[in-house]
Amino acid sequence: MTEPMREDELEATLRDIGGHLDYPRPVAMASAVNARLRAPRRRAWRFALAPALATVATLALAITLALPDARAAAQEFLHLRGIDIFPVPSIPATLPPPKITFPGERMTLAEARARIRFVPVLPSDPDLGAPDDVYVETIGTSDRLTLVYRQRSGIPISPEAGVAAVVVEVRGTVDENLLLGKATSPGTTVDPVNVSGARGYWIEGAPHLFFYRDANGNATQDTMRLAGNTLVWERGDVTLRLEAHVSKDQALRLGASFR
Amino acid sequence: MEGRPTEDASLVERAKHGDEHAYAELVTRYQALAARTAYVITGSDEEAEDAAQEGFVKAYYALDRFRPGAPFRPWLLRIVANEAINRRKAAGRRPTVGLSVVEDRPSGDTALSPEGAALASERRTLVLDALRKMKEEDRLVIAYRYFFDLSEAEMADALGVARGTVKSRLSRALGRLRALMDEVPRND
Repeated sequence: MTEPMREDELEATLRDIGGHLDYPRPVAMASAVNARLRAPRRRAWRFALAPALATVATLALAITLALPDARAAAQEFLHLRGIDIFPVPSIPATLPPPKITFPGERMTLAEARARIRFVPVLPSDPDLGAPDDVYVETIGTSDRLTLVYRQRSGIPISPEAGVAAVVVEVRGTVDENLLLGKATSPGTTVDPVNVSGARGYWIEGAPHLFFYRDANGNATQDTMRLAGNTLVWERGDVTLRLEAHVSKDQALRLGASFR
Repeated sequence: MEGRPTEDASLVERAKHGDEHAYAELVTRYQALAARTAYVITGSDEEAEDAAQEGFVKAYYALDRFRPGAPFRPWLLRIVANEAINRRKAAGRRPTVGLSVVEDRPSGDTALSPEGAALASERRTLVLDALRKMKEEDRLVIAYRYFFDLSEAEMADALGVARGTVKSRLSRALGRLRALMDEVPRND
């Protein structure tokens, strides 16, 4: 091999290698992947419950939105920029690990601050305090910050998720048509609330899908991680969603502490 | 290759709403390509399979953020490739990977003369040695183009770069491949 290969020879050789590579034998992964998705320590709840929950959520929102007051509230809701908090059903425990995974890369809060392209809003209420886990996910030009609170006194741990509360912060807008077209469930109620001066919504009855437009205007669907009550509100240019199995008063108190 | 975009879109939509059979179908459809992509990076069957599997799990949880109408295949490959690269880096990368070829499997549809076959085999060995020493990212670009025949648009999506960047990426990778081929393979 003293002469250098011509470009076409190199390309032909590369294709030839591609045809000869000793690739892994084709493996049937579907059942293994499925098992992983169903495994109790992962997000089994999602596979098991997602279809039913999605249906329920859609019906509920449709019903809710049919009511003039709720519709107006939902429309307002739609104009929030976008943060998520998740309520959790309860069961006492000794700090179990989360049973679900969260989107994005796990990092320290300091790393998250350096990474995300908005100023995160954090709770000053000692009932929440510093998050146990912080995840940042970047989708295109949008950043999603997820704060996980594994165990907090006074907040039950979600049996499905294995954590007490989740806060999701994003920039974007909630799209009225998307929300009207898709979102709530029978038994879900949406109440306009005031979160330390900012307009917000208290959603009770386990909504499961959240539709909004990201900062680029792309329609985005998000699954609420802890089926339960949710407080959505704005703080500056950030929309927050808090999911936790807490009462409305408790949620409002926690929400008001986000600075 | 396996691309059936319209069906993919409907399977993705169903999977998003919790239809596990739909997701299983997507896994079945792309498992070989996913494992091969991971293999190009890790050079190990076992690691490739683990990375591909983990990639499918991560992709499932990321479906919420999958843009409706976007092609699924390159999006999946991006997740799988990242997973494979991260695993390899986390494990402390070795300078070379164990990519290997099956010498006795005929490739192409034209029978080569014995001399032709010998030359092809010699070239394969030379290029393969260089490929083994490349950075994962460079090897991946080359594999997408020459092993898996991805289109430029798919490559852009799979690599997470602008479409106009694909050509220069590929050309730089080929340049580095040549540089490695020029290093006389006597010291390892």
